[in-house]
Amino acid sequence: MAEESLKFDLREMKIEIRKAMRQCQCRGLIQTTKWLSELNFALQDVKLTLGDVPPEIPDPEEEQELDSYLLAKSFFDVKEYDRCAHFTEWCRSPKTRFLHLYSRYLSGEKKKLENTRDSSCPNDPVHNANLRDLMSELKRDYLSHRLDGFGLYLYGVVLKLLDLQKESLDVFVESIHKEPLHWGAWLEMATLIPDRSKLNSLLLPDHWMKQFFLGHTYLDQQLNDEALDIYWMLRQNGFENSHYILAQTAIAFHNRRDVDMAIQTFRQLQRMDPCRLDNLDTYSNLLYVQEMRVDLAHLAHQACEIDKYRVETCCVIGNYYSLRSEHQKAVLYFQRALKLNPRYHSAWTLIGHEFMEMKNTNAAIQSYRQAIEVNRRDYRAWYGLGQTYEILKMMFYCLYYYKQAQQLRPNDSRMLIALGEAYEKMEKIKDALKCYFRARSVGDIEGTALLKLAKLYDKLNQTEHAAEAFNEYVRDCESRQVGDKSELSQAFKHLANYYIKRNQVDEAYQYAQKCLEYEETKEEGKALLRTIAQRRSQQEEGDMQVEDDNSPVTRSRRTLLTALTEYR
Amino acid sequence: MADKDDCEVKSVEENINIDRYRKLVRSYLDLHLYSAALFWADKVVSLSGEDPDDVYWLAQCMYLMKQYHRAVNLIKSRGLEKTNLLCLYLVVRCLLEAREPTDALQILSEVEQEGNFNLTTNMITDSTTVNHSLLDNNLNHLQSAILYLKGCVYEAMDNRGLAADCYKQSLRRDVHCYEAFEALVQHQMLSSWEESELLDSLPFSEQCAAHEEGLLRLLYESKLKKYHAPGPVSAPLPSQIAGLSGNLDLAVAQAERCYYNCNYRQCSQITEEVLKKDPYHSSCLPVHIGCLVELKKANKLFYLAHRLVDLYPEMAISWFAVGCYYYVIGKSDPARRYLSKATTLDRLFGPAWLAYGHSFAAENEHDQAMAAYFKASQLMKGCHLPLLYIGLECGLTNNVKLAEKFFLQAQSIAPEDPFVIHEMGVIAFQNQDYTGAERHFQEALSRVRSINESMIAEKWEPLLNNLGHTCRKLQKFEEALDFHQQALVLSPLNPSTYSAMGYVHALLGNTAEAVDAFHKALGVRRDDTFSTTMLGYVVEQLMEDTPPFKGAPDDVPNYSISPTQPMVVSVEKSEADKSMFADSQAESNVESENGNCNTIERVAYSSRSPIIEVEMHDSSSAQIE
Repeated sequence: MAEESLKFDLREMKIEIRKAMRQCQCRGLIQTTKWLSELNFALQDVKLTLGDVPPEIPDPEEEQELDSYLLAKSFFDVKEYDRCAHFTEWCRSPKTRFLHLYSRYLSGEKKKLENTRDSSCPNDPVHNANLRDLMSELKRDYLSHRLDGFGLYLYGVVLKLLDLQKESLDVFVESIHKEPLHWGAWLEMATLIPDRSKLNSLLLPDHWMKQFFLGHTYLDQQLNDEALDIYWMLRQNGFENSHYILAQTAIAFHNRRDVDMAIQTFRQLQRMDPCRLDNLDTYSNLLYVQEMRVDLAHLAHQACEIDKYRVETCCVIGNYYSLRSEHQKAVLYFQRALKLNPRYHSAWTLIGHEFMEMKNTNAAIQSYRQAIEVNRRDYRAWYGLGQTYEILKMMFYCLYYYKQAQQLRPNDSRMLIALGEAYEKMEKIKDALKCYFRARSVGDIEGTALLKLAKLYDKLNQTEHAAEAFNEYVRDCESRQVGDKSELSQAFKHLANYYIKRNQVDEAYQYAQKCLEYEETKEEGKALLRTIAQRRSQQEEGDMQVEDDNSPVTRSRRTLLTALTEYR
Repeated sequence: MADKDDCEVKSVEENINIDRYRKLVRSYLDLHLYSAALFWADKVVSLSGEDPDDVYWLAQCMYLMKQYHRAVNLIKSRGLEKTNLLCLYLVVRCLLEAREPTDALQILSEVEQEGNFNLTTNMITDSTTVNHSLLDNNLNHLQSAILYLKGCVYEAMDNRGLAADCYKQSLRRDVHCYEAFEALVQHQMLSSWEESELLDSLPFSEQCAAHEEGLLRLLYESKLKKYHAPGPVSAPLPSQIAGLSGNLDLAVAQAERCYYNCNYRQCSQITEEVLKKDPYHSSCLPVHIGCLVELKKANKLFYLAHRLVDLYPEMAISWFAVGCYYYVIGKSDPARRYLSKATTLDRLFGPAWLAYGHSFAAENEHDQAMAAYFKASQLMKGCHLPLLYIGLECGLTNNVKLAEKFFLQAQSIAPEDPFVIHEMGVIAFQNQDYTGAERHFQEALSRVRSINESMIAEKWEPLLNNLGHTCRKLQKFEEALDFHQQALVLSPLNPSTYSAMGYVHALLGNTAEAVDAFHKALGVRRDDTFSTTMLGYVVEQLMEDTPPFKGAPDDVPNYSISPTQPMVVSVEKSEADKSMFADSQAESNVESENGNCNTIERVAYSSRSPIIEVEMHDSSSAQIE
């Protein structure tokens, strides 16, 4: 995609953005207006002359309904949706009609939010009567071709909420063809595209907005490098000041586990736009993973100061408490986030993690499921589900969820190792081995694949393989200067034992020595050395019997060494 | 003295102009000052020496003052009912009002036997009677009215067959006699084809001008039964009577059409418009109430019922509204109480009887529900809905044979009603006659589609799902999936649809899709045992079938130095595993097949119940027109 390297006509784009902003604004599509304005601001160096954006000429139908529209819009702006809907009921011009339907939609959603007592089940079909009514009405308009681009968007949203994904996707595509600058429609559509092949099969308008969409979707689908390419290209072509693109870049780094770069980018973003709360929850995740307590605390306070009742703020604070192991409080804040927006999937996932910490598997499962319901591509939620079912010993389910997570992140060794462990528990050794192998080959993040492999071989009594794997593990750990101490010491012990059995006394000796370096295996190491010494003496005797005076020098040196070590 | 008196009397007689007093009586009647009218009518009778006309007017005044027996007595004592057609009419009318239909019938038959008038022909045999101005050109009307009254008398005596005959005769005599038409149509005397037959047999062309004929036919047609078969909402009116387009009666007819097409939103829009213009439009109210029940607008229903009861406590519709309100909020006891009150106020009020039955059916009290429906079916010979409900109740009590009988009966009355056809399909399904079931369902579907090709009402979601179940039984899995998907479009987020789809996928071997579908089903309804067990099987199978990850090698990759032996071992092992899997698969298949039998019953059952409810609501206003 990036190779195309489009040359943008920035002036033309800006005019388009300005027009679209006006369109969205008069329909009460505030989020898209915000997004477009940010984009517009990023192009502030591009100057427009007065006549570039001609004032809108209302068509006679709109003109006729202007009074109703103005009244309704004012009600809409103060969030009196029912009132707005009432006064636009008989309006026919697309704009006012959209306002009517949209306010009905918002009113229904608002009531649904207020009426659900506990936030655990937002999808209760009882509360969907409004959506169904809207759907049938929109369908009628749709079939008689009376929906414009925005109306199609609303139809798509309603279909999507009713889980009619295929229909919804088609409608969104249609909507985008009519209103390519309506970012909200692109965003809604992005969540409906399961994978890249589906993305490529869609017939999208050849518009510069497509680049933004592709970036967003690649990021969503964990195709981080592709996403970074696109964002790089966009920045090269005039959008170097866009905060949105910067934030997306940071998220791409985050997804790539390029933690330092991600944190750096987020800091840069904060400097440029200190009061921006969007995506700060991702930033807080990063700080959490890096255990940067001070930074996280600072961020939490800062966010709280800007707006206490924003989903992002609640997530940041929740993360902060979680890091302090105050899981109850963390849950409280995540719940608040969900009260504010029950379709915020990462809050669902995070609350699931907290429940896991609190050993409340049932609640954890519910939360993860909700997360998936909202966004099927949340691999952490799939992974969490796998973990909970592993605890519950429902291995097939566990396997299924791990597989889902793995499919979403095919190159993440953690999922593969989890899969392998699950197979191992189910006694499917062959599959387990495959997983561990794969985990090693995709780049082992936690460095445990080899260890698992070795232990598994050991269990299978395939000692050579086990030893080989242990060897590599040890080498790997030493070269990387990391590794769990107890695991490492056990590996050394195992190796020593193995070589003793094979009578490779020199190697055994070497590893037994290593054992001494660790507290856990110190005693065993000594015992091992003793057996080694014994073996040696036996060997010597045997040697002496067989071949009389073969290399006495080395022998003596060896004994000397043994003596020395035992001394130490 | 005496002379003088005589003189005075004479002079009075000379001066009295009886016609003046007659006019006085009429004008007082017009002003509804009945006492004054009575007073002067009485005097006129005396003055004119009991002129039959004046006696008639006196009796008329008594009738209007609800002094029925007095009026009857007045006429009968003079024997006028045998000679004067108008008097006969009034006597019968009075007796009917006084709730003495036997006497009324007696008088009618006496008159007929004596042969003074032959009501069925145009000829008045006795020329002595008719010399009244009223009758000059309205003879037909009068005869028709008397026939109508005769029908009323028969109906009051529960002789509904004869009543219907009388009404028909009355209507033929005078096609404009809407009262007779209304009696026939509203009281469900005729089945739909009988209705249209009647309409065809009416001598429109003889009795009205050419352009009028079309108007009358159109107006009557708009009143005919609509629930026996769905159809498109009526076309725009012909231009010469376009002025009627704002007529509320026609709007109500349109609303009814919408109602029976299950388009409740549009229906309630129309009825609300009508009620805005005429808040107590009597024929609109039942449709409106039915709509409110259907849309579960309890608050509006509450207010409407209160207003109606305050204003018209003696009308059945008011208490019907109250009963419906309690029915909607799920309080069956008070609902029954008020619905039965409605039925006592008007024994022929069909909707109340049906709703009364529903209030029992809603609580699974099948016997009492059936009793109510039976009563309704006796009262409404021309309506198939009571029979349909009786059939449903039979089906629910596992009496499939009997249910089928009732459905067949219902079908003989309304062969085109998709609801009945659908229920026939369900019966066929339960009898494991899947091809028959499919035929029925398909027919129902094509009827439903005939309303509006692209939009099917949400109500029909069970039909599509049942089609899906049937196709699955017939091994047409792809079609089954298609139908379930259509059902989902009609009624999204329906857990039983999801689990049905999951099951089809499982049978097709699309385990991944099956897992997805069952997950979705459980996401909406957590405690669904069928989905839970099926999900267990399917997940297991999926995990057995699929490689550990995408692009996993078939063999375990060798680890650096590889001695051959362990490899061989592992291969053998994997083969052993495979055969084991195969066994377990077979086993799980068997089990799932078993589990499945249960569910199909269950699924079919569960999809039936919504339909039942469907029709229940349906009925609530089905009857009215």
